[in-house]
Amino acid sequence: MIQYFQDFFHRHGTALSIFLLVTVGFWIFLMIVLPQAFMLDFSFRFNLPPAKVGGPEDVYTLSNYKFMVYGSAGNPDSFNVIDVTVFFRTILAAIFVTVFDLALCYPIAFYLAQVAHGGWARLMVLSLIVPFWVNEILRAFAFRIMFGSNGVINSFLITVGIVDEPIDLIGANIALYAGLGYAFILLMIFPLYNAIESLDKNQIEAARDLGSPWWRIHWRVVMPFAKPGITSGCTMVFMLSAGALAAPQILGGPSSLWFTQIIYQWFNTGGNWPRGSAYAIILLVSCIVLVLLMMRLFKVRLGEIGR
Amino acid sequence: MKSDNFLKLWVGLFVLAFFAYLFGPLILMSVTAFNSSAFPRVAPWECFSVEWFNVLVQDDKLMHGLRNSLIIGAGVVLIAVPIGLAGALMLTQVSARVRPIYYTIVISPILVPGVVLGISTLIFWDRLGSMFGAEYDSFFYDGIFLTIIGQSTFIAAYAMLVFISRLQRFDPALEEAALDLGATHVQTFRKVLLPFLKPAVGSAAVLAFLASFENYNTTVFTIVSESTLTTVLASKVRYGINPSISALAVIIVALTLLGAVIYEIMQRRELAAEKAAAKVAADAETAGVATTTPVATRASKAGAFADPAVFIVLLVFAAGLGTVYFAGTYGLEECKVRVAEQKRALTKKRVKERQTLEMFKGAAPSEDTGAAGGGQPKIEAKGTEGYRGIFDPGNLEGQVESEKNGKVEAKGTEGYRGIFDPGNLEGQVDSSEQQ
Repeated sequence: MIQYFQDFFHRHGTALSIFLLVTVGFWIFLMIVLPQAFMLDFSFRFNLPPAKVGGPEDVYTLSNYKFMVYGSAGNPDSFNVIDVTVFFRTILAAIFVTVFDLALCYPIAFYLAQVAHGGWARLMVLSLIVPFWVNEILRAFAFRIMFGSNGVINSFLITVGIVDEPIDLIGANIALYAGLGYAFILLMIFPLYNAIESLDKNQIEAARDLGSPWWRIHWRVVMPFAKPGITSGCTMVFMLSAGALAAPQILGGPSSLWFTQIIYQWFNTGGNWPRGSAYAIILLVSCIVLVLLMMRLFKVRLGEIGR
Repeated sequence: MKSDNFLKLWVGLFVLAFFAYLFGPLILMSVTAFNSSAFPRVAPWECFSVEWFNVLVQDDKLMHGLRNSLIIGAGVVLIAVPIGLAGALMLTQVSARVRPIYYTIVISPILVPGVVLGISTLIFWDRLGSMFGAEYDSFFYDGIFLTIIGQSTFIAAYAMLVFISRLQRFDPALEEAALDLGATHVQTFRKVLLPFLKPAVGSAAVLAFLASFENYNTTVFTIVSESTLTTVLASKVRYGINPSISALAVIIVALTLLGAVIYEIMQRRELAAEKAAAKVAADAETAGVATTTPVATRASKAGAFADPAVFIVLLVFAAGLGTVYFAGTYGLEECKVRVAEQKRALTKKRVKERQTLEMFKGAAPSEDTGAAGGGQPKIEAKGTEGYRGIFDPGNLEGQVESEKNGKVEAKGTEGYRGIFDPGNLEGQVDSSEQQ
């Protein structure tokens, strides 16, 4: 170990070595590992006023996690109906958004990587990026204008005569799904694009020459090849949409909550940080478990993600 | 062959629909910024106006948030870019055994939900602060400091990815050559590796700033009592909206487009310069003369503003801005008056229709008129968007109208409420007549 550090210092000079070690150390410990560890620790504690922290009452407890599952002591139901329902609905909705984005972005990524050439392809990539420099809140706002009861979509539907009365698109969460799907398009397209671009065109030609229809070429040639990209994109979209806060706050219907909103409530109006941390841990751990399960299912390794 | 064409048509339509989904919302939102209607919408169109930009600039909260956002963005760039650089360099140095673990740890902030990062940062510094017995106005509890740290956690990972992709193209032979020629490691780092990474520093910094500027999920927890542009915007959007937010979006979209166009032009110049350089080098080689390529270096070094194409783009942009501003102020007042008159006429027509309807229903006992009066304001609200159009000149008329009709019901218990209302007297007369 010491030998290793001596080597390290010798190779980079003292100043550079110190810069590297201090910076990376600060990042890993003070910004990534320790905050997460503190949050985990905090989630096992009671919600105490500052004066009592560190006192005899400051002991570990599972009560915050129990609350998530069973609710308060006076709860008539056998489990915490609201929070558990919201939790599963969030996970399901995030899966739905992921599948939606994959279905939407796969053809575009394929088109960009294999079909379009030169200036046209560059222009398309550039115009993909432009909308994502616009603030997340403003994008959600745009969807709210569009999907409102007197928004463009409703006006269009009424003019065409499909419906007579404006539909409550926000209440039905259609605006939310459209907005979330929109927010993560870029995160889906680029991993897909990178994966598909490296596919040799000859493989597609060969499959075509051997009489394969277009859908089988995708199913048996392109998709297996692009699997790391697909997994990488899906992982990012799933994690980020399950953890989204802005879009659900702005576009969510009045009766439907997103799990992050419950966490937000515990921190703001609820004023119970330990419970909020416990909920955040639950969100984090279940998302990671789900992603790992999916990766196991599709036989992709973690190291292939994010490349 | 026929099915091939059919497929092409479908692909074309899909691409078209995709870009409509991508740009439709932004275009519509931008259009609403120029409608004088107090609610952001495209139809019904009222007057072309730029007044919402004035409303935007006069919004102190937004401007305060914007200032904080800029400070935080600068702070994040200063922290995240060096960390990302160090992280990327470190990745090349750690042994193969440690590398996967190291990579998993440093890449994890990208995958962890922003909410969780914000919460963990908040709790960590809060606990540290209380361990050291820090005061509440110390940096442990300062929203701006916490936000810079919280955002840098994952933005540093973005920056690292930028540096990694640049480093993958680095030729280690360059480093070895420098060392062989007697340079120290530090010199090699500063004279060889850093210049090679320089373009990546620029793009990492831009990426870091943009990511910081638009972040909400982490910021909303770490900002504590301060505010940034996004948190102000979020609270505005949640509690009542008006087109000044669209106006802000127009500014951001326009700046983004401008940046994209300039980036594209410069990219093309660089490509052309590279081609020219390659050509010069090839010519020199055939001529057997060793030469540096001054033409190419000069071309690529020319600043953005000296570039005629960029200059033209900027000029067109400024001219467009001027035209829009002129068009948005010219004739605005007349148009507004006209729209208000139209609204008034419409309201009157509706009231008249209503009254005729009542007449046809036959003689109305006072309770019935009361009920009708109670129902009246609802119709009015539909016409003028309720309180949203509260400063609309056409609205006053509507209110007076509804006051008139509502008074019948309200008179007994709440009559004193509208005691200073100019329409009040008339309304009372009206209602006493009805009674």
